[in-house]
Amino acid sequence: MGQDFVVVTNNPMVGESQGEVMVVDGGFEDVLLKVRDLVYEGHQLISHPIGASMRMLFSPYRSVLVGSKGSETMEVYALTIEGSIDTFRRSTANRDVDHVNADDYARIDLELLKGAINEHRVIQREKIQEVQ
Amino acid sequence: MNLELRKIEIKDVVFGEETGVKDGVLTVCKQDIIDGLKEDVNVKSIKVDIAKPGEKTRIIPVKDVIQPRIKVEGKGNGFPGVTSEMVQLGSGKVNVLDGVAVVTIGDIVGFQEGVIDMWGEGAKWTPFSKTLNIVVDIEPVEGLDPHTHEATVRVAGLRAAELIGKAGKDAQASAVEKYEMGDIFTEASKYPDLPKVAYVEMLISQGLLHDGYIYGVNSGKILPTLIHPNEELDGAVISGNCVAACDKITTYQHQNNSAILDLYNRHGKDINFVGVILTPELTTLEGKFRTCDYTAKLCQTLGVDGVIVSEEGYGNPDSDLLMICKRLEDSGIKTVLITDECSGWDGMSQPLADTTPEAVAVVSTGNVSHVVELEPADRVIGSAEAIATLAGGWEGCLQEDGSMVCELNAVIGATSEIGYHNLTVELY
Repeated sequence: MGQDFVVVTNNPMVGESQGEVMVVDGGFEDVLLKVRDLVYEGHQLISHPIGASMRMLFSPYRSVLVGSKGSETMEVYALTIEGSIDTFRRSTANRDVDHVNADDYARIDLELLKGAINEHRVIQREKIQEVQ
Repeated sequence: MNLELRKIEIKDVVFGEETGVKDGVLTVCKQDIIDGLKEDVNVKSIKVDIAKPGEKTRIIPVKDVIQPRIKVEGKGNGFPGVTSEMVQLGSGKVNVLDGVAVVTIGDIVGFQEGVIDMWGEGAKWTPFSKTLNIVVDIEPVEGLDPHTHEATVRVAGLRAAELIGKAGKDAQASAVEKYEMGDIFTEASKYPDLPKVAYVEMLISQGLLHDGYIYGVNSGKILPTLIHPNEELDGAVISGNCVAACDKITTYQHQNNSAILDLYNRHGKDINFVGVILTPELTTLEGKFRTCDYTAKLCQTLGVDGVIVSEEGYGNPDSDLLMICKRLEDSGIKTVLITDECSGWDGMSQPLADTTPEAVAVVSTGNVSHVVELEPADRVIGSAEAIATLAGGWEGCLQEDGSMVCELNAVIGATSEIGYHNLTVELY
């Protein structure tokens, strides 16, 4: 099947082997803002923009899967990315980015990204089977 | 299913020549544990230590906590599907070394936190300051990929609990807890007038360091599934979650899941507890929609009147929690959520990353952002570097006298979302 997603990331460990990459020159929040812009342009939001633990919010790096562009902004995606930006800002208001462990964050972000891509591919394959 | 948890009260733990229990004292042969765990070719070295309540000892970074046990009647020793051959869990008699915990440490990545202080302010916040902790420090061989590294440490901890649990084989139990529940139709006929209640337990299922396992199966690979509560109490659910220290559900907490025990306690009295649904917290939105739809459908199929939902973690799982709530409430099923809050240092910010008007009954298990001050320890078991990570969150968090200020999210089990912790709820 063809590629149906773009990885929006500032993680230097994410490369072309993960698919089409849109590199963001900036921090975690800049990645979220780029995803927000794409969602308002009509792109599908495939993976949730924030992680599942506080610790991953202190990461210098974040990768988010964004899908193909539709004709209009989907409300659920807009609410999700706006809520994520709000959560990120609230949760990191008093905390510094953990640059000391930057390499480890990059590695785990990459592993979680691979997990999200695999999860997405399973869902897409099921859709194709449904069509057949 | 009929399960007996036979509690052997342990008052002290010491090292000795032979592992066994006598007069309430657990003796652990350190070399036997080391030799047993080094049978795995991926394990390079093992250190075993003991930490007791009240000692000025800090354990960090904690990966998992496991309760040592042995099944003395029926099948299913160890952790079937992981450390032993697959059998159906949930029945039989189990000797539990009550008051003892195996605590595994070993950093897989530098930013792991997870602290247990055995004394002082820190001890107030973690339930594992009250257990006699056998701390197993696992160093794997060099060159392992991160997934194999995590699996090596996870399985070594389970094996350690299995080896130590054998000490209780012939020991006398001081208390016996019985958990018996028949099929749904039998229980419904016994209690026709009681409301039927299911428990939905959400598990982080997002990839490396963020996984849960059911009979060894990664929960990220399943649709939500129905499980008998006895299976979880008997060791079917295992933690592979290494990051959310305050609200990750350790294996010990699965073995003693407070939500299950409380529901059991009221089964046949004012509710009819029909079972547990384990629900993965996935990373993709479509995956979340699918699991939340499926969870609601399972609850509807069971014909329940009410559901208790507990979360694991913070952030994107908040969306799953509230989507499940909305779907259940929309279908007429009364829903109570159990979650912790990330509501800022002053506790005044919005507590969750998501919201829905259908969430009208929510139990908070604490504020992960609450700030605590931890004084320096006399002895540190684990990694001094991890302490620097723990304290390095903001300017001024390290004091001149060596004490440090950290948020509760660094403390193991401090805001347990299944309620296995030290905090309580006050109604206003």
